[in-house]
Amino acid sequence: MMQTIHLLPGVTLRVFRDTRFKQGCLSFQLAGPMNKAESAMNALLPSVLLRGTNRCPDLRSITERLDTLYGAGVSPLVRRIGDYQTCGLYCSFMDDRFALPGDRVMGDMLAFLEELLLDSPLEDGGFRGFFVESEKKNLISAIESELNDKRIYAMNKLLKTMCSADTFGLPRLGSVEDVAAIDPAALRRHYETMLRIRPIEVFYVGSGEAAQVADLLTPMVSKLERQVLPLPEQTDFHSCPGRDEVEIMEVTQGKLCMGFVTPITNQKKEFPAMQVLNTLFGAGMTSKLFQNVREKLSLCYSIGSAYYGSKGILVVSAGIDFDKEEKTRREILRQLEDCQAGRITREELEAAKQAIISALRATHDSPRAIEGYYATAALSGIRLTMPEYMAAVKDVTVEQAAEAARSLELHTTYFLKGASQ
Amino acid sequence: MTKLEFPEVDESLYREVLENGLTVCVVRRPGFTKKLAYFVTDYGSIHTDFLLDGQVYHAPAGVAHYLEHKMFDMPGGRDVSAEFAAWGANTNAFTSYDMTAYYFSCTDHFPECLRLLLEFVSTPCFTQESVEKERGIIDQEIGMNLDSPDSVVFDELMKAMYSSHPIRVPILGTGETIRQITPQVLNQCHRAFYTPQNMMLCVVGDVDPEEVAAIARQMLGMEKREAGRKLRPWQEDMGCLRQETSRAMEVAMPMFQMAFKCEPVGRGDEAIRQEMVADLAAEALFGESSELYLKLYEEGLIDSSFGGGFETIDGCAMLMCGGDSEDPRAVREAVLAQGARLAEEGLSERRFQRMKRSALGRRIRDLDSFDGTCFRVCAYHFSGFDYFRFPEVYRNIQKEEVQSFLRRVVQAERCALSIVRPLE
Repeated sequence: MMQTIHLLPGVTLRVFRDTRFKQGCLSFQLAGPMNKAESAMNALLPSVLLRGTNRCPDLRSITERLDTLYGAGVSPLVRRIGDYQTCGLYCSFMDDRFALPGDRVMGDMLAFLEELLLDSPLEDGGFRGFFVESEKKNLISAIESELNDKRIYAMNKLLKTMCSADTFGLPRLGSVEDVAAIDPAALRRHYETMLRIRPIEVFYVGSGEAAQVADLLTPMVSKLERQVLPLPEQTDFHSCPGRDEVEIMEVTQGKLCMGFVTPITNQKKEFPAMQVLNTLFGAGMTSKLFQNVREKLSLCYSIGSAYYGSKGILVVSAGIDFDKEEKTRREILRQLEDCQAGRITREELEAAKQAIISALRATHDSPRAIEGYYATAALSGIRLTMPEYMAAVKDVTVEQAAEAARSLELHTTYFLKGASQ
Repeated sequence: MTKLEFPEVDESLYREVLENGLTVCVVRRPGFTKKLAYFVTDYGSIHTDFLLDGQVYHAPAGVAHYLEHKMFDMPGGRDVSAEFAAWGANTNAFTSYDMTAYYFSCTDHFPECLRLLLEFVSTPCFTQESVEKERGIIDQEIGMNLDSPDSVVFDELMKAMYSSHPIRVPILGTGETIRQITPQVLNQCHRAFYTPQNMMLCVVGDVDPEEVAAIARQMLGMEKREAGRKLRPWQEDMGCLRQETSRAMEVAMPMFQMAFKCEPVGRGDEAIRQEMVADLAAEALFGESSELYLKLYEEGLIDSSFGGGFETIDGCAMLMCGGDSEDPRAVREAVLAQGARLAEEGLSERRFQRMKRSALGRRIRDLDSFDGTCFRVCAYHFSGFDYFRFPEVYRNIQKEEVQSFLRRVVQAERCALSIVRPLE
């Protein structure tokens, strides 16, 4: 189903041809190592590219161009994939079969993408100062707005503390200070370097043939002068001493986050067992955490766990009353102990496996989900193909899930509570 | 079932109204693995006052949402979520101002899942103890919303705009109102609004439409029962109760929502046309291709969090926008000024055609989403319209309609602004 074409050294096009959809999606990503020096620039870059081209010099002319392309969308793409950070653009556009006779949306969309990527208006050898300054302001406000969603805020604080020795603790969008320090010429130089040395991943899903997409992209990528620097391998979690942190804020509801570490990453053979364990422990309405901490004990409205396979980190978060912290914490650990002791029913195990397999199968029914899975899988270090992954999930036993649970160690906790207490 | 074809959007819809009054719709998606089913009642948080069997009821605010939570309880302690999960399916529900939806998605065991969906939503099972226990969970959910600036800024806006429409009260109700909810209240509301006549079943996926209808007949029976009659005692003119409201919270920078009060759109083709006219008006006034958006973005008064559109809810409608801004009042003044300018100068025909093309293309792309499609088919059905007919509606809209909408609606006295500002 998927075809991989190497357009140039380090420029990979992956095509997932599917004629069922009403749109095509294409992502263009530059992949580099996540580091403090570059993360803010990488986060800023796509938004600056989207501010204007020589032909479409302002936001309005860009939107008009997209409106003419039947309301096509282009959005900034900034992802963390293990130790890597990717940045680029994501385009979605109506399938040609709905367009008026003679209109070709995909061809025009990719021509516009080329303009956005390679034909920015320049000033004194840098990006336009006005674009850069205004997008810096926007990015800073986006970073600061993470405070608005207390669940995300609390989770980021937990990860920052527990990953102080790992790239995973670096903020995905960079820090406010790093963004503020970016100047237009340095950003341009950084971009030109990226276009030369960083692996480029282009992913397409839609009704077009692979050869057709490759033909449309070749003129653009041929303009690049490439001297590709291969990416270092993904690394396991770099540990630091754990902590118990409490922060006080004016909030109505407390947020308790607990971070666990495990040597099981997505490159290990136990990875499917850990996925199953995470699902039955804390993902979804049938998980032990939801069923016991919420349904039986009414301690919270929201509770769940998430497993970051690239680093072997499992986090639990719960929204609770301030005075329920100890009780909730004890209960979460008790549920984990049950998993570790193998007190997992057949139903729990099967439901978890089914949930993972259904989700994987349904991935293929949405262009965005297809892009999200396949355009990151190659970089994430995961070694299983999707069918292999599903087969491995099917084979997980209670004992393997329990063993995965036993590999988890509590590392750090973070509790956000109200000023009134 | 009747098959309706919509070649312009490459969709076909199967529909039948069963003997019991239930409307069943199937959007066939051959070749897809995922199947999604929505079982929806035309009943939401604002429908607290109703007439049933000759008696008038005034239910406490938050009852529709409370009921949604409690529907998952089954006799004998059966666990609905676990039963879905055993088939690899996911189930959930949501309550809006004027609709409550229960749904599942699955890849296998579709008939079993569909039976279970229909069964649990039509089986009320409320005990004193379980209703009590749920209060703790809903209290936490209310607390979560009180900490969410997005919820607060919207709820405060509704309170400022409306003087008597129940949209003034959050969907979840308040800590006080949910304390008045008892098993008896839940039973009354279920009896009033969870009757097939007031509901709709919509499935998207590669399924056999006849089988869907057969399962619905088998599970819900043939008997037709009158639904409760919604009472709409509110009186709203187009003025706002207050023009501005402001709250301080733990946020990084000020955020705002503002809206212009509009006449409710009603039901049927004409209503949908008005709604799409209003969507285009929103785009013309403050959409990304508008002069206003560009100006405010370049001046740094708005950022990419800015957005807006037209919202309709039973008994009210509004043209609204919002986002983060250092100076929400300046944004309001700019929107009013731009409205006046558009009213005077009008839209160019070229721009208008481009906006229509864009709106049409985006709606076509959105059909790739199972959830979005299922939701819209249901919501538009309750408004008396086949959603997939949207291209013909767009085609027939004239730019004068958009201009006259803007002239009528973008007026200072119809406008309210809600601000959430950082703590001192």
